[in-house]
Amino acid sequence: MATARGLVRAWRRLRLGVPPRRALWGGLRKKVKEPEEVETAVLVKEPPILVCPPPRSRKYLPPEDLQSRLESHVREIFGPSLSEDWQKASLKESKLKYHLLAQLAAELGHAVPNSQLHQMCTAGDVLAFYSTQVKDASKFDELCTAELPSNLKIMWEY
Amino acid sequence: MTARGTASRYLGSVLRNGLGRYVCQLQRLSLAFSPGGQSSRGARGYIEEKVLDFAKQNPGVVVYVTPQKCRSPTVVAEYLNGAVREEIIADKTVAEITQLVQKLANQSGLEIIRIRKPFHTDNPSIQGQWHPFTNKPSTLPGQSLRRLEQQPNKV
Repeated sequence: MATARGLVRAWRRLRLGVPPRRALWGGLRKKVKEPEEVETAVLVKEPPILVCPPPRSRKYLPPEDLQSRLESHVREIFGPSLSEDWQKASLKESKLKYHLLAQLAAELGHAVPNSQLHQMCTAGDVLAFYSTQVKDASKFDELCTAELPSNLKIMWEY
Repeated sequence: MTARGTASRYLGSVLRNGLGRYVCQLQRLSLAFSPGGQSSRGARGYIEEKVLDFAKQNPGVVVYVTPQKCRSPTVVAEYLNGAVREEIIADKTVAEITQLVQKLANQSGLEIIRIRKPFHTDNPSIQGQWHPFTNKPSTLPGQSLRRLEQQPNKV
């Protein structure tokens, strides 16, 4: 009887929107959390939305003194055990290979992709790789930007 | 169809081209291709590699390159005498397209139909066409009768 009356009263209070007198389990915690969450949410909105930066261009132009640079690096890493023809120096030892490729990547800003690592067996291969130019513009863009003769018209509005 | 049923023409050139200076009869070349699409693969390759050289070698021809969404790439050749020829270059290699474009540039705009005679001349005879009375002495009508009266046996 008493319990039933208590329940009815609690129910009535809840209906009216008044919080129950007895703190429910974790009720206090909930009340404390809400204002904090509101504050943090407000703080996040204030600073400006960052725009995603454009992807790094993969352009690479081999420098003119590439050969000398490469030779100096190879001699530095391999030490005195190198023969006269530095291009034939084998890169079988992973430590030497790693050091050489890491230095070159840091210096020239152009790294050997993972798929071609197994092809780099000698210093000559590395030289050949770094001598190839890499362009990131498609051929059509190049065609447009290049000087066209006056009788060739390319229309791009599509 | 038979030769009689189809159109035919006589051999000729446009305004005696080549007698003096040779003028390329191709006026305009319009290349329409799709930027995606597998049938335009050859066309795209041609535009990347060869069209620039063609334009430089033939400065009298205007080349329009229009990438647009089309099912099959085409090349439309317009000639100085008003003739228009459209060719489909779908699923062709770069070499085939180069050859085709060169052929279109070499053509005059005259129709490609049966040619009645493989020769033509404006001056078929210099001294006059032979007929049975050439090289025969000519006489007036009265004179021939008098000869007959004088020499009846010879007739």
